[in-house]
Amino acid sequence: MSTVRQYELVYIVPPETTEEALADLHAQIAAVTDRFGATFEKTENWGRRKLAYEIAGHREGVYVLEVINGPAAMTAELDRRLRVFDIVIRHMIVRVDEQLQIADRARTRRKESMASRRVRRGLPPEPTEQERNRRLEDSDELDGPEMGFRGGDR
Amino acid sequence: MSEFEGRGRGGRGGDKDKDDKKGGARRTFFRRRRLCKFCVEKIDYIGYRDVKLLAPFIPERGKIQPRRISGVCATHQRALQVAIKRARQIALVPYVTD
Repeated sequence: MSTVRQYELVYIVPPETTEEALADLHAQIAAVTDRFGATFEKTENWGRRKLAYEIAGHREGVYVLEVINGPAAMTAELDRRLRVFDIVIRHMIVRVDEQLQIADRARTRRKESMASRRVRRGLPPEPTEQERNRRLEDSDELDGPEMGFRGGDR
Repeated sequence: MSEFEGRGRGGRGGDKDKDDKKGGARRTFFRRRRLCKFCVEKIDYIGYRDVKLLAPFIPERGKIQPRRISGVCATHQRALQVAIKRARQIALVPYVTD
């Protein structure tokens, strides 16, 4: 079996779409993904939103997000099927696993480097609650002079 | 001949002076802290779904703000650009606004 990747599918349906029609659409998508042995990570309905521009005469739409774990061949088929549905006014499939992995790696690397720096200074690896609060106060104080400096600069 | 050369050099010299002055003026007039928002706030993933995150980088007209203005670092500008273009595709963000 081919490699399983994570994809995000977002589609927009007209706001007047009934619950049943939405459920039906979801079932049809599920039928496609099932054929490829894909699984749904989550389904999110964002509800009615204003579109940034008019699409096929619609100014508003209901956004639905599906996070799907499946093979690459599935996206092509999904794309083809979604194009056919009249009820879907716009859809997009994006691969996300790679970017999320990169973000995750960056996060752990930063955490590790912070921990090692702290240990080198003889502190516990994790900042304590007290330190965190103090840092917040410090950054508040920084705002004042910075603003003054910017004013004087002009 | 020598006159031309002289003038040429003079012109160049003048230009150079002007440039220097301009650069100096720019530095004193428009100096601002160029900080990458994503580096400072340690945002690792710039997702297309987060309109609130993208909005500050989309000026009135709907274009993507150049990083010479926003101060975003190259790495994050690239990610931001992809995110904005995706958000445009699903009408979360406009292509153009008049």
